[in-house]
Amino acid sequence: MASSGGNAGDIFDVKKIRRLVELMNEHELSEIDLRQADQRIRIRKGGEPMVTMAPVRAQAGPAASAPEAAPAAKVDDQFTALVKSPMVGTFYAAPSPDAPAFIKVGDHVGPQSIVCVIEAMKVFNEIPAEVAGQVMAVLVENGEPVEFGQPLFKVDTRK
Amino acid sequence: MYKRILVANRGEIALRIIRACRELGIETVAIFSDADRGAPYLELADEAYCVGPAKGSESYRKIDRVISAAEIGNVQAIHPGYGFLSENAHFNEVCRSCNIDFIGPTPEAMTRLGDKNTARRIAREAKVPTVPGSEGLIDNEAEAMRVAHEIGFPVLVKASAGGGGRGMRVALNDLALKMALQQARTEAEAAFGDGSIYLEKYVEHPRHVEVQMLADHHGNVVHLWERDCSTQRRHQKLIEESPSPRLSQQTREAMCEAAVRLGKAAGYTNAGTVEFIVDQQGNFYFIEVNARIQVEHPVTEMMTGVDLIKAQIRVASGEPLPFKQKDIKAQGAAIECRINAEDPKKNFQPSPGKITRLMAPGGFGVRFDSHAYPGYVVSPHYDSMIGKLIVHQPTRTEAIECMLRALAELRIEGIKTTVPLHREILGHAAFAEGRIDTTFIERTGLGQ
Repeated sequence: MASSGGNAGDIFDVKKIRRLVELMNEHELSEIDLRQADQRIRIRKGGEPMVTMAPVRAQAGPAASAPEAAPAAKVDDQFTALVKSPMVGTFYAAPSPDAPAFIKVGDHVGPQSIVCVIEAMKVFNEIPAEVAGQVMAVLVENGEPVEFGQPLFKVDTRK
Repeated sequence: MYKRILVANRGEIALRIIRACRELGIETVAIFSDADRGAPYLELADEAYCVGPAKGSESYRKIDRVISAAEIGNVQAIHPGYGFLSENAHFNEVCRSCNIDFIGPTPEAMTRLGDKNTARRIAREAKVPTVPGSEGLIDNEAEAMRVAHEIGFPVLVKASAGGGGRGMRVALNDLALKMALQQARTEAEAAFGDGSIYLEKYVEHPRHVEVQMLADHHGNVVHLWERDCSTQRRHQKLIEESPSPRLSQQTREAMCEAAVRLGKAAGYTNAGTVEFIVDQQGNFYFIEVNARIQVEHPVTEMMTGVDLIKAQIRVASGEPLPFKQKDIKAQGAAIECRINAEDPKKNFQPSPGKITRLMAPGGFGVRFDSHAYPGYVVSPHYDSMIGKLIVHQPTRTEAIECMLRALAELRIEGIKTTVPLHREILGHAAFAEGRIDTTFIERTGLGQ
């Protein structure tokens, strides 16, 4: 399990985290997100393994970069392109709650491919990839607030 | 009271607003452009969102992104600061339609006072003296002569489509007026595509004196006395002070009361500043209203002890002002110097670059409001002000001495600043005697 951001050792009990992961495995959960006062733990399995834990206030600035800090990221790879958010709003992976996601890891996209929807001021904006290649990673979660320039997807432009 | 506010600005005023919110127990959402990413003051906010690239029109002035940040940040109100969207009535309206409070006047009051003609009309109706001038555009020479004789020479021929001091000609007598009319029309036609002109009385050696106004949503409109901002260069304020030197108590009171009358007549709420010019005889004339908090608001804060930013927030949230006019007392003397990243030796060209060393002054009655720090890169994308140095002392003489002392302590290296110019101005006899008008810097050529 990868660790990013925060002083995990200082704030949280490793035993508690281990127990949480055990619980996730027992009940076949892929993600848990717990908050208490200004503390938060979020653990996600599968695809990009990631453990985020931090005081809630630190989520804002670093939230944009926390996914990038995961060890699997090779952002400076010349064949890796990032699809970045052109606006401030809420990210949605699918056109509607019960519809399938626009894209998933492994899909091929072209510059005009709609990769997601970002809702801003009650308007749903379809976001084109603007690059061609194979989707390597989805860097944000459905319903997550995103800022201008925030990386949303990683695309391998060789494929 | 609000739980959360979005600060729709950057730099020192964003820091100022965040500070006030922290003291009031209000959470803050800050916004930043790519150029301001990593700025230390952003860490004082509870959340911060990037709203665009460095260019102001693509970030801090981009209404949809600012509003989106407000929505995802879950705020109840937005403080616009000064500049950027602070006097944008459309933005104000958008906030309202999104159920977010705009910390400032209503869009209607803002529009009313934003239009110079309407503002002047409201002023005249409220018996606030305005600069004498032609009622509208001048159609022919005969009319120009008539008006000029009515208001008295010297007169200023101004281009209706002009701005920034362009398309203006001073005429001292009939003959000069004939020539000035022709020249102004031709110049205006060439520069703005519109040769329309009007006349205004030319106030010689004017002083710029403004009155701070505060109005709540319960009908209480008060003034917090005046600020003299006559020390200007090319219409940009350099030094502001209070009380205005050489203004009789009678004039001071009349001006401040006029400002309150105007505020009431315009249905104004929240903070605003009423600007006047004062001629050498002590007559004052209304110029315009700045429907926002101003850069130099700390001068008034030091004089009256009133935290204007907190007052703005409280008023916007519906609280009545906790004082009446008689409770507002001005004490001592305060001076503010705007520290700009400009090179006086190169005609005050902006001097962007990295600040390699910064040491702020301190001591009794010294306040330094700045977002700058060692390592800060002064960006060419925004205005060049990097900080405000304010002093407050029991007398004006002591305030000047204190400011000189504080300016000598202030160390900013890596960029050129206006600090040497401030020291020259404050050491000048004319300043000590309070004999400054808006032409002073240009006339004396100080700083160059």
